[in-house]
Amino acid sequence: MSDPASSKIRRLRELPREVAPPHDGWPALEARLRESAARQPQQDVQRRSGGGVARPWRPRLTGIAAVAAVLAAVVVGVSIDRWILSPAHPAPRAATAPGVGTAAGRLQVAYVTDPRYLRERAALLRSLNARLAKLPPPTRKKVLQSLAAIRESMRQIRQALGREPGNALLQELLIDSYQNEMQVLSTVQEASYGSGEI
Amino acid sequence: MGYMASAAQDDRIDWEAGLVQRARGGDMRAFERLYRDHIGSVYGLCLRLMREPTSAQDCAQEAFVNAWRALGRFEARSSFATWLHRIAVNVALSRRRKAAAQVELPPPPRDPDEELADSPGEWTLDTPVEVQEIESAIGGLPQGARDALVLCGIYGYSHGEAARMLGIAEGTCKAQLHRARALLRARLEPESHR
Repeated sequence: MSDPASSKIRRLRELPREVAPPHDGWPALEARLRESAARQPQQDVQRRSGGGVARPWRPRLTGIAAVAAVLAAVVVGVSIDRWILSPAHPAPRAATAPGVGTAAGRLQVAYVTDPRYLRERAALLRSLNARLAKLPPPTRKKVLQSLAAIRESMRQIRQALGREPGNALLQELLIDSYQNEMQVLSTVQEASYGSGEI
Repeated sequence: MGYMASAAQDDRIDWEAGLVQRARGGDMRAFERLYRDHIGSVYGLCLRLMREPTSAQDCAQEAFVNAWRALGRFEARSSFATWLHRIAVNVALSRRRKAAAQVELPPPPRDPDEELADSPGEWTLDTPVEVQEIESAIGGLPQGARDALVLCGIYGYSHGEAARMLGIAEGTCKAQLHRARALLRARLEPESHR
């Protein structure tokens, strides 16, 4: 079989398997996943109660200490929020993927509420522009996109918390967002001292 | 495959297994990494099955939502990519069934040249003419034949794997593939050879 049609058919496997989608679908997907994660505990309660009228959902937190820690973190989150949103610190515009700082260890809730954490974070944010200027443009872009995505997720979580202030999962997610932001800021600091690669 | 290539593949699998493990634990960043690694092939597959970019993108998104929910059931007996493709095919078939169940007006008759020029919406000036020609011809195949050709011919799945994904018998899949190749040959053959 050496006619042109047969040779084209033999080339089927050479066709690209990957096709770039028209736009980045991750931010919408992430929002959808987080929304369904936040809804899941309520649906579980509805299922457990036989699908009838749902009882109000209560977070299954064991112990006053855990509740206090989460609530304190949310309070700190809200107060930090005012600082972030002040005109002196405009948020970057790009919005896609964080993909840095994944190896760093998880910060503890107590650390998020610690005044030392707040000071460190404020200092890192103040020096961010100067540090970014030392990084190669592609790295800089990646960092700005990561921070923008984190801040967008913080915004959405805070919005959801406004509707469901007692939702423990949302509170955890908010703390996660602060941890992720801290990881990015720390990575930028390290990179600006070193090779500049992230 | 040389040692370096094989080692690189092993590293990738280990890295991916680690990401899957973390994503199972609820780590959204790990899942994002998996999404970015696989969205191209999942979207490409959906586009070829749905033949329309908006539907393909919805289909790919839904596939990842389903994958996130089902991560706990992923057993690593197949590769993560194969598992994702299976989910994407399920979503595409289900959407097509729903669309078919709705009342549909018959399409207007089409000029054969117009059909050839019809693109799935993803080609650019850089896409080779031959690729466009083959993709257009694939797009014009009957659904069953096209599904088999896309999975076996482009994505390299065996008859058995493709049949399982499509929910048909292996023999049916082979027959559909044979039919697809014959139709494709007829469509791609220049006038002078007919």
